[in-house]
Amino acid sequence: MSDPDDQEEQPQGKTRWRRFALTMGISAMVTAGLVVLTGQGVIAASFSVSGLPFVVTADELQGTGFEQYAVLDQMAPGSPNEGDTGGQLILIVSAIDNAKLTNLCQSINLGGTNLRLTAGNAEHPVTATKLIVDSDLISGDASFTKIDIGQDASTLTRVPGATGGIGIFGQQAEAVSIKHLRQNNYATTASTFNLPGLRMSFSSEGC
Amino acid sequence: MRARRSFRRWRRSRPFWGGLFIVAAAVEIFLTVKAPLPVVLHVGMQGLAGFLVPIIMLLCGLLLWFSPVSRTFYSVLALLMALASWVTSNLGGFLIGLLLGLIGGSLAFAWQPGPPPKPKRVVTEGG
Repeated sequence: MSDPDDQEEQPQGKTRWRRFALTMGISAMVTAGLVVLTGQGVIAASFSVSGLPFVVTADELQGTGFEQYAVLDQMAPGSPNEGDTGGQLILIVSAIDNAKLTNLCQSINLGGTNLRLTAGNAEHPVTATKLIVDSDLISGDASFTKIDIGQDASTLTRVPGATGGIGIFGQQAEAVSIKHLRQNNYATTASTFNLPGLRMSFSSEGC
Repeated sequence: MRARRSFRRWRRSRPFWGGLFIVAAAVEIFLTVKAPLPVVLHVGMQGLAGFLVPIIMLLCGLLLWFSPVSRTFYSVLALLMALASWVTSNLGGFLIGLLLGLIGGSLAFAWQPGPPPKPKRVVTEGG
């Protein structure tokens, strides 16, 4: 209203704030419902994270269908995470067809603070299908059943759809169990992730 | 000065802020899901959905600006996509993009155009 010469030429829109509050209220309630249902493990979410290094720990991982092979990963040119690596990283790709994790903790360092995500206990573990993880460090106490070590990465079969480059060292196993798992990851994808007992928080400590 | 004024006129004749919030939400969600394409294709349909949802949100935001006549459709679609991103795209870009999308969608849904321009100097109040 302060500018008399443009209101005559163009209709001035306005926001109906009560309608905004109503819409926002309804959609916020639906969101709260989604969060609760995910926390109860009813809804499975799908994940794909890459670019940021992040840490994953779990008390125990049990998986059926396991593959592992190496890839050379190239960072985006000029990435601040390059350090003295020249932008190249050798990463271990681990693929698990069906995984169960107890006491999963995942943290992403955002510089100063960490986004921390925890889920799953012994009774209601986190379950994931087609979990594919790129990491530069994996530690834990692992045991495998029916493991084939030194198989060409392009011929791996335990996780349908996931194979490495030809001529690259790979291994696969029918089942895997890792206790006290700790991974430094660069990328994770999972087609479904059930996260019972989900908690997201910002905290000064990682996992 | 004239450019600023015409930008303001453009801004006020459409759900500008709603669209802007939706575009910001789409970009934030998209940045969290930028996995290497071969990996996405391995994961299959659900990995693809993780990409598609923020792309549809981006289109909704832009179309709210450039085709504000259909704002109801685009704002409701943007709201639904923001909610769907919880399941498909890293918990809605770790919740941030989801909330931005809800704010933007609600703003655009609540926006209404002003009365059509009245012919100059023939304005008579009454009735």
